[in-house]
Amino acid sequence: MIPPALNLALSILAEFAIFLIVTLSLNLEVGRTGIAQFGRVLAVMVGAFTVGGLASRLLALMLGLPAGAEYTDPLYNSFIVDKINAILSENIGLGLGYFVLSLILALIFGALIGWLTSRPAIRLKEAYLGISLLAYGDLLMWITYNYQPIIGGTIGVGVPDPFRMIQAIGGPMGGFYRNITVVFVMLTISLLIYFLIEKLTRSPFGRTLIMHRDNEIAASAYGLDLIKTRTRSLVLGSAFAALAGALYVLYVGSCSPAAYSKLTWTFWPWAYMMLGGVGNNLGVLVGVGSFLTVRILLVQYRFELVTFLHLPFDPLWLEYTIIGVAIILIVLFRPFGLIPEKPVSTLQKDKINRILKSIEENKMKNDAN
Amino acid sequence: MVYALFEDAIIYACSLSLMASGINLIYITTKTFNFSHASISTWGLYIIFSGVAIVGVNLYYFFPIAFLIGALLGLICYLGINGPLLKRQANYITLMISTLGYEFILLSGIQIYADFLTYTFKLYSRLINMRLYDFMIGDIRAATIAALTWTIATIIAFYILLYKTDLGIAIRAISENPSLTALCGVRPDKVYLTAWMIGGGLACSGGAIASLVVTGTPVMGWILLISMFAASILGGINSIFGGILGGIIIGLAEFLGSYSLSFLLGPWIIQYKPVISLIVMTITLMMFPIGLVGLKRPRLPKKVKGLTALSRSGEV
Repeated sequence: MIPPALNLALSILAEFAIFLIVTLSLNLEVGRTGIAQFGRVLAVMVGAFTVGGLASRLLALMLGLPAGAEYTDPLYNSFIVDKINAILSENIGLGLGYFVLSLILALIFGALIGWLTSRPAIRLKEAYLGISLLAYGDLLMWITYNYQPIIGGTIGVGVPDPFRMIQAIGGPMGGFYRNITVVFVMLTISLLIYFLIEKLTRSPFGRTLIMHRDNEIAASAYGLDLIKTRTRSLVLGSAFAALAGALYVLYVGSCSPAAYSKLTWTFWPWAYMMLGGVGNNLGVLVGVGSFLTVRILLVQYRFELVTFLHLPFDPLWLEYTIIGVAIILIVLFRPFGLIPEKPVSTLQKDKINRILKSIEENKMKNDAN
Repeated sequence: MVYALFEDAIIYACSLSLMASGINLIYITTKTFNFSHASISTWGLYIIFSGVAIVGVNLYYFFPIAFLIGALLGLICYLGINGPLLKRQANYITLMISTLGYEFILLSGIQIYADFLTYTFKLYSRLINMRLYDFMIGDIRAATIAALTWTIATIIAFYILLYKTDLGIAIRAISENPSLTALCGVRPDKVYLTAWMIGGGLACSGGAIASLVVTGTPVMGWILLISMFAASILGGINSIFGGILGGIIIGLAEFLGSYSLSFLLGPWIIQYKPVISLIVMTITLMMFPIGLVGLKRPRLPKKVKGLTALSRSGEV
């Protein structure tokens, strides 16, 4: 028997991995480049739909199953996905190939949607840009929600599970082993992205982003192409966010447009970022970890909380109060978050120390001479 | 049928223009893009709903109460959050996010209040149809008359406030150049306070009007938020009357545009109602990046014009 605490820990870790990627990508655009990105949900959605609507269709086409409009028909979809899963549970190579293909496609389409949104939006400034990005997210949600052949409309589609093999081997405990594997893979990918973005912010490219954020006029005076910088940042951030969306869909095993609300995928990451520290990747990590844990524990133990405190309402709503109060307190009293941004050192510390030492030695030599 | 649709479109357009003008008023004075408009407007719905369902008189008696409570919510936001941030000269992203935090608190307040209504008064408070409480005056819904009256009164009041009073001059001056206005002896905090109170009141009463055509849920404001923002930046966020104009365009486009397109393309287009307003917004912004009204400079009064003409000719 699997203890429930372990399952809870697994779900916290899974959400942590997903939201870490989303919030890091948001931080790249907001904290580093200074774009008011209020449409994070759009790229996440594109990543999710790429897997649910394209990668799984390619798989169905390869296996000789219907992959056209009937694929997303709620009458057939579960049969098709079950058949694919049955094949995947015997063929680990196919599952792995499907997994990698999904992630690559998500990255490509995420980058594409980042570039597309940057086109009309890039001429707009500040609040106009933010609100346009917010509107694009809703636009895609409404279209896919109402038009069934893309991703199953109101009902959504099932997504083939690339880790089905593990579930098949594990027998009665198979589902648990599968979850452990998926969470491990997701955590690995998210930490890889963490180090990648950390590396990126220390690179010359990262420093041009900071220059863009801190002073646009000075940046353009130094010959920086502002629009190109903004576009690059949007493309990169959207690609990472799409990757997170793809991972989420593969973890959950289903994909429905209604699940991609701007509250969950735009404003929660914003809240985590504000709480952790805008512009600081470590702060983002701490912010996501701490507040996600509080949120999930609150959701998990809310019935115990009702009987314990005799609340006359569902404590689920306290989630919003806590986040709201936390945002306001942070903004008012710790404007730079739990871990404020530090100046980025491009070289490693010991390297800088070595250089400093050599300079001092030279000085001493000169003095001696 | 068509007639009822026209009425719905007018009511919706009126509510959107009220809410959008509130957003613009807050934006031009404090440079804060207010997310908490969403839940302040939902509070409007719950105020008139609880008034009608518990007290049980004519629902239009509760509109002034909704306005006052909205003003109170705006006041709290200014005094507690926005004021201190403005004193610190926070950047626009911080200002936006602080109102998002306030929005979350208001949203949880609404959810808790809806639970309270269910437990205490046994009211079905999560899917409200306010049309049931509305009545007809002759052939016209009372809501249409109320919405039109309220909006026209707001426009007239805005005109008087902005162009005939000292406070209005201060508001317009601050929207042009805050530091220079402060230098001239205008206290900005008084202007900010007024803007937040009027903005909050307009959001709350706008939400109350909107609830007469859309389904009332605790997330009604969240769903309307995109249309509100679309209206306010379509008209030009730097102008209050731009917000009113944008609200009318977006509101009519959503209701009448989708309806007339359904004749051309078939009934499936009706479900894409919000998409139409967003497309209208995107296209307009591509042509006019700062909105419809934002382009035009305000005309100078005749006296000043004469003076500049004289100074040009070297007589003054």
